[in-house]
Amino acid sequence: MRLLNEAQFRRIIADVFGPDIIVGGRFDPLVRSGGLLAVGAGKTSITGSSLERFDILARSIAGQVVAPVRRDWLIPCKPADATMADPECARAYFKSTGRLLYRRALTSEELETQVQIAGDAATNLNDFYGGLSASLAAMLTAPEFLFIVDTTEPDPNNPGQVRLTAEAMASRLSFFLWNTTPDDTLLTAAERGELHTTDGLKRQADRMMTSARFETGIRAFFDDMLAFDSFDTFEKDGLIYPAFSLAAANDAREQTLRTLVDLLLVKNRDYREIFTSRETFVSGALGLVYRVPVADPESWSRYMFPPDDERVGIQSQASLVALRSHPGRSSATLRGKAVREILMCQKVPDPPPNVDFTLVSDSANPIYKTARQRLGAHSTEPSCAGCHKLMDPIGLTFETLDGGAQFRTLENGEPIDTSGELDGIKFADAAGLGQALYQNPAVPSCVLNRLYNYATGRESNLGERDWLIEQEKQFADSGYKIPALVRRIVLSDAMYAITPADTQLSGQPGTREENPS
Amino acid sequence: MIRSRSLVTAATGLALGLSAPAMAASKTLGFVVPSWETATYETKYYDECPDGLAIGNDELWWKGLSQRDKDVLTNGGEMEPVDPPRRPMAVLRGPKKEDVCWNPEIVVDPPQRIVKGKFGYGMNLDGTTDGAATPKSCKHEKFVTPDGSTYVDNQMYRLVGCIYGWRKGNYVEAHADRERRDSSVGIILIEVTGVDDEQNDPEVEVSFHATRDVLYKDINGAILPYATFRVSETQHYGATAKGRIVDGKIVTDPADIRLPLYGHQMTGDMYIKDLRLDLPVQGPADDGPHLGMIAGYYDFDSWWDYTRRLESLLVTGQWSCPAMYVAAKQLADGYPDPETGECTAISTAMNIQVLPAFVVHPDRETADAGSAAQ
Amino acid sequence: MSRNLPRRSALKGLVNGAAVSVALPFLDCFLNGNGTALAAGGPLPVRFGTWFWGLGFNPGRGVAPKTGKGIEFLEECQALVPYKDHINIFSNFNTPLDGKVTTVHFTGWVGCRTGSVPATGGDIPAPTIDVLIADEIAKSTRFRSLELSATGNPRDSYTARNTGSRNAAEVSPVAFYARVFGPEFADPNSATFTPDPQVMVRSSVLSAVSDERKKFVSTLGAADRARMDEYFTAIRQIEQRLALEMQKPPPLEACVRPSKPRENQLGTALEDVLVNHKIMSELLAMAVACNQTRVFNMLYSQALSTLHRRGEAFIHHTLTHEEPPDPELGYQIEVAWYNLRSFEALATFIEAFASIKEGDGTLLDNTIIYANSDTNYAKLHALDGIPVMTIGKGGGALNTGYHINGNGDPISRIGLTVQQAMGLQIQKWGSLSMETSKPVSEILA
Repeated sequence: MRLLNEAQFRRIIADVFGPDIIVGGRFDPLVRSGGLLAVGAGKTSITGSSLERFDILARSIAGQVVAPVRRDWLIPCKPADATMADPECARAYFKSTGRLLYRRALTSEELETQVQIAGDAATNLNDFYGGLSASLAAMLTAPEFLFIVDTTEPDPNNPGQVRLTAEAMASRLSFFLWNTTPDDTLLTAAERGELHTTDGLKRQADRMMTSARFETGIRAFFDDMLAFDSFDTFEKDGLIYPAFSLAAANDAREQTLRTLVDLLLVKNRDYREIFTSRETFVSGALGLVYRVPVADPESWSRYMFPPDDERVGIQSQASLVALRSHPGRSSATLRGKAVREILMCQKVPDPPPNVDFTLVSDSANPIYKTARQRLGAHSTEPSCAGCHKLMDPIGLTFETLDGGAQFRTLENGEPIDTSGELDGIKFADAAGLGQALYQNPAVPSCVLNRLYNYATGRESNLGERDWLIEQEKQFADSGYKIPALVRRIVLSDAMYAITPADTQLSGQPGTREENPS
Repeated sequence: MIRSRSLVTAATGLALGLSAPAMAASKTLGFVVPSWETATYETKYYDECPDGLAIGNDELWWKGLSQRDKDVLTNGGEMEPVDPPRRPMAVLRGPKKEDVCWNPEIVVDPPQRIVKGKFGYGMNLDGTTDGAATPKSCKHEKFVTPDGSTYVDNQMYRLVGCIYGWRKGNYVEAHADRERRDSSVGIILIEVTGVDDEQNDPEVEVSFHATRDVLYKDINGAILPYATFRVSETQHYGATAKGRIVDGKIVTDPADIRLPLYGHQMTGDMYIKDLRLDLPVQGPADDGPHLGMIAGYYDFDSWWDYTRRLESLLVTGQWSCPAMYVAAKQLADGYPDPETGECTAISTAMNIQVLPAFVVHPDRETADAGSAAQ
Repeated sequence: MSRNLPRRSALKGLVNGAAVSVALPFLDCFLNGNGTALAAGGPLPVRFGTWFWGLGFNPGRGVAPKTGKGIEFLEECQALVPYKDHINIFSNFNTPLDGKVTTVHFTGWVGCRTGSVPATGGDIPAPTIDVLIADEIAKSTRFRSLELSATGNPRDSYTARNTGSRNAAEVSPVAFYARVFGPEFADPNSATFTPDPQVMVRSSVLSAVSDERKKFVSTLGAADRARMDEYFTAIRQIEQRLALEMQKPPPLEACVRPSKPRENQLGTALEDVLVNHKIMSELLAMAVACNQTRVFNMLYSQALSTLHRRGEAFIHHTLTHEEPPDPELGYQIEVAWYNLRSFEALATFIEAFASIKEGDGTLLDNTIIYANSDTNYAKLHALDGIPVMTIGKGGGALNTGYHINGNGDPISRIGLTVQQAMGLQIQKWGSLSMETSKPVSEILA
């Protein structure tokens, strides 16, 4: 059972009711677990304050749906008398809309409850639409809507075992590939049992992956994997980094996502090239940060950094070097940690308690002028040295890019040494780090694991190890192409496997409505 | 710290393309000019204005009213004339209530008080030290720079230097400058191409353009360097001058240049003949603006077309359109009319503040961006 | 489960009749086994209003640069010192124009109040903040909002839904009194109380779906079941709150019908403005205390302020441009004098709200006043750093006593913060470079 995140909620509302519905409001931040918010969503509850927000949101959305400007095309029928209840019309409405919201056909009992609520409220308010709105708002705060539920049913092929219902499979597919609710075609395929057949599943997967929405899904994945939610609480000191405006910060996130979509989807390149490519996009605000010309300062322009530039790969973009820095200074440690944890899926232990950071933080220290010197002095402490060895030789390579992602060659008048090391490979600069990441086996393995966990909404378990090793091999054989990897995942049995913890048995809440088609 | 490479883009087409073939060594320098003001020399005790400040339109208007009008306006002497209606009314002081800014010769005001000091800033436009007439200039008085080194021409300063609203920090120029920085309208670009050596280069080309792109500011409102500006499609602006770099300063030969002008919510042209530029290649170490100067002969008609429309500022700025018009005609010192001998342009000099910027030509770069996008 | 809502018949009877006297037994039927929560009565309403003054203040003479908790008002804002713990003041928030040109004395206030920059003079590109808030909170009051101007001109009103629908201001205290406290005046403390039918419907919906939700839980695994416990706790909280809202609100003890003001000269002579502004402030505060409205807009002087001392030609606006700064003091002395009056007027306005007791505190505690000007340094119509203040805690939604440095962020951040504090479920506000989703979190309680 996974809680919808903000992006999913917004997309669902736009998909079901139209993009002009205003979805205001704040959403509570999700918890990150196993490197992903998508996994954390499987552990998050709805608190009092968040339900209150959902409730206000639900009533606002429902009010907009029944508003005179929209009612005639969002509601498939007109009541006989708009001042009275009309169970027939309400039933027709909830039958179609309810299916999109609950991501399955409503049971007859569920449907009748919605009709009843709409009717009673209509009678009390003397307003059919007011009643419909009250009932719709109730659906939008129902756990069946707010949580993506892994409903199961007995598996006819394996007596005594259960499997995901076709509708639950549809949700998994849709939230993975599109980051939104299943569309009518997918639900229909599910209701016809097609998703439980190899061909049927393939047909849907191929349809979905050739849709423009696939880009949205891939963006949502990388936004999660790269922990870009950090941008929501990100701050830069505008006096120290005057070019790093709010607009630059927003654009930094978008820059990396655009780069990834372009390289991995549009151009279908080797995943590892995201660390060695100089191709990217810049906006007017980012042009100031990188000090490069922009073909169209009001929009996004392609840009290719010249061969001698330090900016190579997404790891040199502001979304890493500025985001993984302090508000007023760079941080080799935070940057190195991000590379290890985010790009390589390795855990770096937290610092031991009672560490004295004075030396590291004091960038005005007259003896230790560069970050390398300060960290060197700090890391002589044995309790620190072990972990810093994991992070600093990576992070120090970025030191020519300051905390605001701007290029420099000196720190406190001292030339910056950008040499570094990653798992035994030594390099002289950021381009060398890009090559080292390209060659590091942890890098493709990381994205594979994250994609798989993102798709299933849980961390993989020991029993899935062999399968994952096989997937790694296929990923390598196919030239590390992301779309092909995604396709293998969605067509695998593993994607829909049941784990005991979040099993839900279907068949309980009443008999399902007959398939309308 | 600034990387010199950032300041400079390769002349043959902006690093937009995927491929970066070996390029010609010459570079392009780009600058944006968000700020300028007339170069004036002002002393604390107004020594340069021994006759005092110019008489304002208000005062002249009041003097010209009949006792009856004065009675009406002051409620029989009970109150001062109320402000808002006074403003539009005061400018209509022609014999038939004509607007005296649009009809500056319809009344004759006392002569405008002008600068009579010895010192001034600017450039030596006519090449003389005494201001004697030349084929390109009328006889006039020169200023000498305060360090005594150069005889310069700046009749515009002589004209406006004793007008309250035109003095440093006061409304007429300071507010227009503020509006340009706020709105990014009327921003000028300078593009220097063919640069082989940023210290000394005997031959470069300097172009002036208009742009519609916006200025980026830091948290204190200071304009940020290294933004990109697209040259406006219009060919109306965009003249080019031959120039050179001498000891780190870009200087140009005279060229007739039309620049966009915006201020007080009015747009116009600054048409300056024989315009020259003097601008250091490198700015201060803190990325602040480079300070430079442009000077030349401001075409009278283009200047007056804008200035007469400032009539709503007459009370704030305290000058008289007729007096100013007459004084400006008398002070004009450039481009004598071959028929009448009367000069048709006024020597002027402006202090400019510029920032390094990327100047891009959308029409030229489309092809490059397109090939990059393949 | 019975499909009939348990309280259906009661609801029908209630809602279909207009004003029905509600007896206690009815309320009992809405109790959710938790009568204690209701004993305290319903919550006090939270109100929102704006206050406008023209021409900002002289740079460096309004507030000391020190930011954070503890505002240090300087000379021109001395009158606000007694209220500094109830105020937040915002400096260095900017109005980026995205290449549009400024219309002096217009662009600034429109940006502050709509989060958008007008394309031309007169253009109101989006609803003003008070309209947005009234849409949300002012459904049940007698007046959707009340607009007042102390300048004698009904067009001096900076509230609008769009260019074509500006809310005109009431300019005469006498007329304002007649409109609010005349024969139509509805005493909020009268015995009749009609619960909001929408609230009753919501309450009944919650009970209608509860059985279904219980069934849903029974299908879940243990871990998910535990997560659903929190959901149900949350549902109970909403039920309790709805029950409170259906109870008669506590009496508005401070509400007393004021006496009728005397006719006074209207106009922009400062002597008249100050008198009218004070009377209006007091009448308005009482109108709010009597729950006649929850949203109000008060204007002290126009953006292009024509306030002047009687018989003097120079108006405040003219002085800002024409008065030379004193060479020794470095500021415009006459302008400073007018600025002092502006903040004395604001102090009068605050006092009108602070002097009305409400619950454990004052009316001011349950109100947010958004006070803004149109320019920072009026001499040059500076759009960067237009002074804005919020006054009052909005029923505890805002922390006060802070001087916030915007570091050049868009000024719309303040409007977003205020709307969120008023309970509006919006996440972002403003357009183009003024669009922001970053409230001023330091002051959001």
